[in-house]
Amino acid sequence: MKKYSWFLLTAGLLFWTVGCKEPVIDEPIPTFYAPATTDPEGGNWRPILFQSVADVCVSQPEPVTSDAYKTELIDVQNGAFALNVEQIDAVNYWAAGGVLRWNQIARQLIAKYNVTPGYNDATGQTVPFDPNKPIVGFPAAARILALLSVAQYDALVAAWHAKYLYNRPSLARQGVTPRLPVADLPSYPSEDAAVAEVSCQVLALLFPDETNWLIARAGEHKQSRIWGGANVPSDIKAGDEIAHSIAQRVITYVQNDGIQTLPDVNNAWEELRRSASYDVKWVSLAIPARPPILPQFGTGNMWFSQSDDFRKAPAPPATTSPAFQSALAEVRTIADNRSRDEWRIANLWADGVGTYTPAGHWNLITEDLIRQDRQNELRAARTLALLNRALQDGALASWFTKYQYFVPRPSQLDPTIKAATEIPNYPSYVSEIATMSGTASTVLGYLFPSQAARINEMAAEAAVSQLYGGTQYRFDSVEGIKIGQNIGQAAVNWAKADGAK
Amino acid sequence: MKQLSKGVVQLALWLLLPACSFAQGLVDGFMRGQDKASFALTYSQEAYDTYYAGTTEVRNPNLGTITTQSINLYATYGLAYDIDVIVAAPYIRTESSAGYWQKQEGLQDLSAALRWEAYDWKFDGVTVSWLFSIGYTLPLQKYVIDAPVAIGHGSRNLDGRTLLHIKAGAFFLTGQYGYIRRGAVDLDRVVNYYVPDQVNPNIGTKVNVPDVTDLIIRSGFSTKHFYVDGWVQKQTPYSKGTDIGPAIPYPTNAIGFTRAGANLYIPLIKTFGLTGGYSTTLSGRNIGKATRLSGGFVVGL
Repeated sequence: MKKYSWFLLTAGLLFWTVGCKEPVIDEPIPTFYAPATTDPEGGNWRPILFQSVADVCVSQPEPVTSDAYKTELIDVQNGAFALNVEQIDAVNYWAAGGVLRWNQIARQLIAKYNVTPGYNDATGQTVPFDPNKPIVGFPAAARILALLSVAQYDALVAAWHAKYLYNRPSLARQGVTPRLPVADLPSYPSEDAAVAEVSCQVLALLFPDETNWLIARAGEHKQSRIWGGANVPSDIKAGDEIAHSIAQRVITYVQNDGIQTLPDVNNAWEELRRSASYDVKWVSLAIPARPPILPQFGTGNMWFSQSDDFRKAPAPPATTSPAFQSALAEVRTIADNRSRDEWRIANLWADGVGTYTPAGHWNLITEDLIRQDRQNELRAARTLALLNRALQDGALASWFTKYQYFVPRPSQLDPTIKAATEIPNYPSYVSEIATMSGTASTVLGYLFPSQAARINEMAAEAAVSQLYGGTQYRFDSVEGIKIGQNIGQAAVNWAKADGAK
Repeated sequence: MKQLSKGVVQLALWLLLPACSFAQGLVDGFMRGQDKASFALTYSQEAYDTYYAGTTEVRNPNLGTITTQSINLYATYGLAYDIDVIVAAPYIRTESSAGYWQKQEGLQDLSAALRWEAYDWKFDGVTVSWLFSIGYTLPLQKYVIDAPVAIGHGSRNLDGRTLLHIKAGAFFLTGQYGYIRRGAVDLDRVVNYYVPDQVNPNIGTKVNVPDVTDLIIRSGFSTKHFYVDGWVQKQTPYSKGTDIGPAIPYPTNAIGFTRAGANLYIPLIKTFGLTGGYSTTLSGRNIGKATRLSGGFVVGL
């Protein structure tokens, strides 16, 4: 018996671990940072939906010598000693940065609503289409992130403008020790309240079913700044004021940007396909066949140029041409000899149905870059507003070309080509993943020059990833990158002239 | 006779292991005996056109029928009269009949277990033994894990179980209950799907494979001229896990099943014999409703 005690010991250890049920994911603890700069001239940066943020009205604050303000300040000081665990969690959660947190929330909602209309992607079954259930068609994700970032950026430019106009000193300068790293900024109006409220309103507009949840998150976000000793309630209220003006402007923009994000339930795409100029036209490879995703998306307004040349790609080689035949043969060769690493790359960048899409992926990458640079809220919002407008334009351009030519996926022409990912249910040319990679790498390379080499490497890998996956031709990637870089350059030109250094 | 039945039962048990979930049922109640060894080489084929998404039965026209073939190598060796070591490894090929998923093929996991017969009691021709076993499973290569057509989950597992084995003449009855701790795996992608209770979406590529509990009841006859058994196995997810869904990583799905099957072994010459088995899935969760046939030979030394 004794000689086998190791046996019992090991078994015991095993069963000891049984005590705790593990979650699907072990989440790491977020890191906080104090912003590297405060950008006092940020209120003069160029807003996107306004001529000037001076139009955004923010009421004059009570002076710090007033009784009303002193009472607020004492309440915050006293309240900070009486926080419960949930409140401390909330303070820490939002201390990671309001702009980034709301960007994460948007990505989660995109993934949640990124489903195929009338179809269960898990089981391959056709299900009744529910017009009341919002759906984020694939390219629409880029638009959601763009609208959110634009709203955050404009709200923060307005907040910065008012901060340095009224110069109410930060709480830290008045003897309050905040529970989190806080930028040394004038505290009125609260930049967090502006971000929370405007993000909540924009996302509620795009995800109406989530309104109550979003309102609760925004409420917690604003309160967390009071709990954390960073703002007094009147700072928050002024942030709300800004957010309301900005959200109204965003709503007007959304209603007029000409982008069709509702599923094409009347099959209008079939007429588009009939009039397409390509020699062999795309058909759905799903069983049963499904209409392609958002066929009318590509004709809406772009952020950086309204010229049609901006979204056009050269005509793809006809299927009978030697250029096309060799492109198809290349896909076939890769599929037949696919390495594990090619499989990995294809999966890393596919970001298909049920995910936050390639736009979300580039936001994730950008989030890391923003943290590394310790960008303040305003600068983070500028980074994301530049990136996401460019990504939306990239998505739009690739979608425009897809439904101009209806180029079939490789497996349609050669059914022996097997894929490493699900074959996306829309035409092949040009690759939206390559286009958005070209866009993102151009914008990010400009904003984060020290990381440009690494960013370009990622973009190059992403661009060819779906060739490795067997769902795209090399010319899809090559032309996609070109369109994407062109759009990215337009965003860089905007950034060079927006007043930020 | 006794020697035959030992090797055979282990083999028979091995035969019914579903190719894609490896660790369960590696051990049975028959001890090998000191310095004795047995080897088995078997082929098995399993197919399903219906699977459980959560617990709902579905057929996916984009997958058709998924067929899995495997060649299994299995060996046992008696380190002492009351300690055995058991080792197994399969080579697996799996493919779908419809759609465009690439077929997957290769060496899957290496499993090893130590079995200890802690106690045995004899009364009136009835032997009751109480056994313990610990096992470990390790992927032999970085195969594809996050696809509907895949050969395994790629997790490193620790398996602890206890067995009660009753033998009366040719008749036997074995009950075993165990816990399989499955380690975390790295996906090829960052976590880019919706996780309802997630707080920090930037968590990289690592996800947890749900642990399971495993219950097997087996009964049959073991004689000089043949061995036959019937069995039921119920595997239940212990951790919460996920259900099959768009972009949900396959390794995080909570997998459970109830399967039943039977095995037969016929000795041919001396320590060499042929074996065959059949199993079917009665109910399940996030797994194929598979039927499995297998056959092979076993050599005792």
